Amino acid sequence: MTLLVLSSFAVALTLVGFFVSVPLFKRLTILGLSLALLSLLFTWGKPFAFGPYQVDGISQVFTLLALLGALWTVGLVRTRRFEFYLLVLYAALGMHLLASTKNLILMLVALEALSLPLYALATWRRGEGLEAALKYFLLGALAAAFFLYGTALHYGATGSLLAGTPGEGPLYALALGLLLVGLGFKVALAPFHFWTPDVYQGSPTPVVLFMATGVKAAAFAALLRVVTPGAPEALSLLIALSVLIGNLAALTQKEAKRLLAYSSIAHAGYMALALYTGNLQALGFYLLTYVLATGLAFAVLSEVSPDRVPLERVKGLFHQDPLLGLGLFVSSLSLLGLPPLAGFWGKYLVFSEAAKAGAWGLLVLALVTSAVSAYYYLALGLAVFQKGAAEAHPRPLARSVALGVALLLLLLGLIPGAVLPALAAG
Amino acid sequence: MVVLAILLPILFGLLLLLGLPRALGVLGAGLSFLLNLYLFLSHPGGVAHGVQAPLLPGAGVYWAFGLDGLSALFFLTIGLTVFLGALVAQAEGRFLGLALLMEGLLLGLFAARDLLVFYLFFEAALIPALLMLFFYGGERRLRAIYTFLLFTLAGSLPMLAAILAVKALGGSPTFLLEDLLAHPVKGQAAFWVFLGFALAFAVKTPLFPVHAWLPLFHQENHPSGLADALGTLYKVGVFAFFRFAIPLAPEGFYELQGLLLFLAALSALYGAWVAFSAKDFKSLLAYAGVSHMGVAALGVFSGTPEGALGGLYLLAASGVYTGGLFLLAGRLYERLHTLEIGRYRGLAASAPGLAALALFLFLAMVGLPGLSGFPGELMTLLGAYKASPWLTAIAFLSVIAGAAYALTAFQKVFWEEGQRGAEDLKGAEWPFAFLAVAALVLMGVFPGFFVKGLEPLAEAFAKILGGGA
Repeated sequence: MTLLVLSSFAVALTLVGFFVSVPLFKRLTILGLSLALLSLLFTWGKPFAFGPYQVDGISQVFTLLALLGALWTVGLVRTRRFEFYLLVLYAALGMHLLASTKNLILMLVALEALSLPLYALATWRRGEGLEAALKYFLLGALAAAFFLYGTALHYGATGSLLAGTPGEGPLYALALGLLLVGLGFKVALAPFHFWTPDVYQGSPTPVVLFMATGVKAAAFAALLRVVTPGAPEALSLLIALSVLIGNLAALTQKEAKRLLAYSSIAHAGYMALALYTGNLQALGFYLLTYVLATGLAFAVLSEVSPDRVPLERVKGLFHQDPLLGLGLFVSSLSLLGLPPLAGFWGKYLVFSEAAKAGAWGLLVLALVTSAVSAYYYLALGLAVFQKGAAEAHPRPLARSVALGVALLLLLLGLIPGAVLPALAAG
Repeated sequence: MVVLAILLPILFGLLLLLGLPRALGVLGAGLSFLLNLYLFLSHPGGVAHGVQAPLLPGAGVYWAFGLDGLSALFFLTIGLTVFLGALVAQAEGRFLGLALLMEGLLLGLFAARDLLVFYLFFEAALIPALLMLFFYGGERRLRAIYTFLLFTLAGSLPMLAAILAVKALGGSPTFLLEDLLAHPVKGQAAFWVFLGFALAFAVKTPLFPVHAWLPLFHQENHPSGLADALGTLYKVGVFAFFRFAIPLAPEGFYELQGLLLFLAALSALYGAWVAFSAKDFKSLLAYAGVSHMGVAALGVFSGTPEGALGGLYLLAASGVYTGGLFLLAGRLYERLHTLEIGRYRGLAASAPGLAALALFLFLAMVGLPGLSGFPGELMTLLGAYKASPWLTAIAFLSVIAGAAYALTAFQKVFWEEGQRGAEDLKGAEWPFAFLAVAALVLMGVFPGFFVKGLEPLAEAFAKILGGGA
C-alpha cells in the first residue's frame, strides 16, 4: 500500500514535473509523502507480504521515521528546481523498500535506490558540495560492493538469501562481517564514518537533515535484520569505536554541521548498542527521539544558513529569534539526553537493555562518553543565548514547526509510555 | 496535593519565563510556601498524599510521589527559602521564573518515590541551575558552568548505571522505592552499586575532595544570592544517601563506611578551615556550607538513628540559614557593590536592623542553642560519637572553628571602626527579616515539632543497617 502510493507518485510526478510550476510540484510531493504516511498509519500493525517485499513491524516503524525525515526536508528546502523534490521522493521509496525486505538482493537494490538520489542531492550546491558528493559516492559504491560480496558469501554459507538465516563457520562470519561493513557505511558507524563530517559540512543543510534522519532509519532497519539473531561480536567493537570517536572528535569542532556529524556517529553507536541487545522497542524509540532532535537541529541551522554554519553564527540566535534559538537549545539537550526531554528515555532504554544483557563494559563506556558529550552539546545549545550577531530569516512555518517539535520532545519526555506500545507492535 | 505543590512553582516559573511581571513570581513563591506549610502541618505521618501513574509501562517506571515526614520538612524549608528569596532578590522576572522552576524540580526530587523519577528530577534541576548561572552569572561563568557540569555528570552517570544495576541485580519488578527496598542488592555487586550512588551523592553533598565545583559556582552566580540559596537547597547528597544509596545496598555501605565517615569529618574541618581565611563573603558561606554538610553527612554515615535524624535536620535547617545568609550577602552587595569582607566595616552603626538579622543568621549557623542549627548539630554529634569517637572529635573542632569564622566575619562587617555607611532594612526586607528570624527561632526552640515525622524514618534506617550487620 505504502509502496504503491510512493511509487505511483514518483512515476507520475516524474512525468508531470515538466509541465507544472515548482511550488505546485512541491505541494504534490508533500501530498504524495503525506498519503504514504497515512497509508502507513492506516495499515499499522497489519503485516503484509508480496514475494520478497514484506511489510512488518520493523518496516513500519522505520518507514515512518524515514517518511518524517523526507517530509521535513521537502518542507524546509527553498529551491527553484523540481528535481530536488523528485529525488527525495525516489529516495524515500528506496528507504521504504530497504526497511521492508529480508531478501539481501532486494536490499542491495533498495540501498542503491536510496543512495543514488542522495548522491545527486549532495551536489545540490556546486563547489565544495561537489567534492563532498564525490567522496560520498565513491565510499557508497565501495559499501555497495562490500554488501554484494557479503550477500554472495552469505548465500554460499547458508544457501539462502534471506537476512537473519542462522549459520556457522568462518565463511558465515565473514559474510556477516561484510554485510556489516556495507551497512556500517550507511549508518556512519566507526570506523566506516570518515565520510560523514565532510559530507555533512559540504551538503546543503536540508539534505543533511534527510541523511541524518531518513537514511539512518532505513539503514538501521536493514542492519536489524542482518545482525539478529545472534549479534556478531564484531558489532561490540564497532559500538565502542563509534561512541569513542564520535564523541571525542565532536569536542573540538567549531562548525555546527561538523559537530552534529560527529555526534551522529556517536548516536549510531548508541543505536547499534540497542541493536546489539536485540530490542526493537529501544532502537525504535531511540531513533524516533534522534530523528526529532537532530532534525530540529538541522532545521534550525538551515534557517540560519543553507551553507556552512560556524558556531559563531549561531551566537545570539535566541535574541534574534527566540523560537528558533529555543529549538536549537532543546534539541541539543535532548541529544545530550538530559531529562525531562525525550532523548533521555531513548538513552535510558538502550542503557537498561544493555544492563539486562549484562554488557557492563559497553554500558560503562557508553555512559562515560555520554558524559563527555555534554561539553559540546552545551557549547552548541548555550551559544544561542550568548551575545552575537546571528542572522536568520525564518519563515513563519519553520518557526511553528520548530516550536512544535520542541514541544513534542518535551511531551515524549514526560509521557514516553504513549508511543512505546506502538513501537513494540513490530 | 503533592503534585499540585510540585506543579505550582513550575507553572509560575514558566509564566514568568514567558515575560510576565515579577510580582507574579513573588505571588507564586508565596502561594507555594503556603501550600507547603499546609502540607507540612496537615501531614498525618507515614507516606501521605501519594500518587502513582505508569511512566514507562513494561519497564516498571512510575510517576510516583508521596510525602513522608522527611520530604514534608524539606517542602517547608524550600518553600520558605524561595519565598524569602523572591521577596528581596532584586532581579528581573525571568530570573525569578528560573528560580521557581528550580523550586518545583527540587520539590519533585524530594517527593519522588521512584528511583528513576528521582534521577529525572535530579538531572532536570541542572537545567535551571545552569541557565541561572549562564544568564545572570559573573565574568568567569563559563568556567564555573563547565566545572559544575563536569563534576555533576561525572557523578550522575555512575549513578544511572547503579540505578540500572540495582533493579537488574536485586531482581525488583519496578523502580518504586518499596519494591527496591524489598529486593536489596547482595554480595560483591552491592559494593559497586553503592559506589555508583556514592560518587553522585558525594558531589552533591559535597564531600571533600569532590566539592571543588562549589566555590566557583557561588562566586559566579547572580549577586542577589537567590541562585546561591537554591544551590544550597540543591545539596541533596545527604538526603539521597539516607533515602536511596544506603538502604538499597547496605552491604556496599559497610565496606565504605569507614572511608565515608573519614571524608565527612575531613570535609567538616577542611571547609571550616578555608572559610576562616576566606576574603569574600560568598566563598566564606560556600566553604561554611561544605563544613556543615560534612557534619550532616557524618550523622547519616554513622548509621545511628540520632545521627541520621540530626544530619537531616541540619540539612533542612541549613537551607534556611545558609540560604538566608546568601540572600543577605546579596543585600550587602546591592548597597556597597562588593562582596569583599574587608571592605564593609562598621555597618552596624548605620544599619542596625541588617546587623541584627545577620547576627541571628550567623548564630544559627554557628549552632547557638535556641536557634535552628543547634538541635541538628547536637544530635549528629551524639549519634556520630557512637560510631566513631575520634572522627567525631575532629568534626567537633569544625563547630568551634565555625564559631570563630562566623563571629570574625560578623565583627569585621558590622562592628569594626570604619566610615562606610549603608542603608538599613527597607521595604520587603522587613518581612524577609521577620520571617527568617521566626523560622530560626521556631526551628531552634521546638525541634521536636519539626522532627516528629523524621523519627520513624530514622529508626527504620538504623534498623536496615542493624539487620544487615
